[in-house]
Amino acid sequence: MTIWWLAVILVSLVSAGIAFIWIITKLTHLSESSKSPHQQLLDAANTDVEHIFNEEFREELRNRGRLHFEKIIGENAMFLQQDLRLTTSQLNEYMKQELGTKLKEEFTKYEESITDAKQMAIDSIEKTKEIIEEQRQMMSQQMSSEVEAEKQRLIGRFEQNMADIINHYVLAAIGKQIDLSDQLEYILSELEANKQAIAEDIIHGA
Amino acid sequence: MAHKELVLPLRVISQGDAMRLKRELEALNDYVHQSQLRDSGAELKTLPKPSLALNDLAQENSLNLLKSEDREAAIGFLAQLVENAPIIHISFASEPSSTFMTKITRWFRDQIDPRILLNVGLEPSIAAGFTLRTLNHYHDFSLRQQFSDQRELLLNGIRESQATNPL
Repeated sequence: MTIWWLAVILVSLVSAGIAFIWIITKLTHLSESSKSPHQQLLDAANTDVEHIFNEEFREELRNRGRLHFEKIIGENAMFLQQDLRLTTSQLNEYMKQELGTKLKEEFTKYEESITDAKQMAIDSIEKTKEIIEEQRQMMSQQMSSEVEAEKQRLIGRFEQNMADIINHYVLAAIGKQIDLSDQLEYILSELEANKQAIAEDIIHGA
Repeated sequence: MAHKELVLPLRVISQGDAMRLKRELEALNDYVHQSQLRDSGAELKTLPKPSLALNDLAQENSLNLLKSEDREAAIGFLAQLVENAPIIHISFASEPSSTFMTKITRWFRDQIDPRILLNVGLEPSIAAGFTLRTLNHYHDFSLRQQFSDQRELLLNGIRESQATNPL
């Protein structure tokens, strides 16, 4: 709105200047164009006018007009300067307000975006933590069961080996101490106990 | 050709013993035959000294080895025995004595089959007892097997010991 006022003032100043120049030119031109008696009177009047409005007078008028014009221009320029300053200050104020508003809006949006992103990150971290916790528990259970199974397997192997070692030791220790003659009764009793099976083996094998 | 069923002496235990006895009888037969050829018509009065097994065979079966029929019968019997006798492989932890083997052989011939032959093996790892293998089956009556069968008892003992005296 202030710019428009400035433009109107400038246009009005330029129009006033043009009108002044045009009046001066018209007056000069009119003084030379009439040649009728009336014209002659006019010429005579002009001549007189020339005598009155001679170059010095004209120059004086021009100077006065110029000074007046300069004065008007100066006044208008002052007004224009004042308006311009006012407009500039208003423009600055307006720009400040607009920029402030825009920045505030943008910052608000930015903050909202950051808050959303933060919330999403927090949710994601929470989910990840839950998943990790579940996997940790699952792996813990699996590890426990595997450790237990391994422990049982090792105990089983240890017992097996222990039994083999003891057997081997006992066999090695007493093997040479047992006389075959002392075993005769045991051997005959075992044979007697398994007589049927041996006999069947012989019959069916033959 | 059916041969007279003879009693197998307890000295003949294994198939090798039976084959050796058969070879001895065949050699004796050849010897008698050759002697008769040399002295045609003369009767043989004496024989080379027989082995203990052959002696037992002759005595237990009342065979006169000077008679050709008896020799032939014995050879036929042994040939059939080598061919068809049931054989059992029996293993002990140490080398058995002949007396011991005689008792074992007697039991088998009395209780299972009078023609049975035993192949004796040595298996020191069994410590005591014996293992028996027929054509189709394997019987383990060894101390090693007894220990294996009683392994759970041993393990229970170890577990109880660990329970009462933990490390």
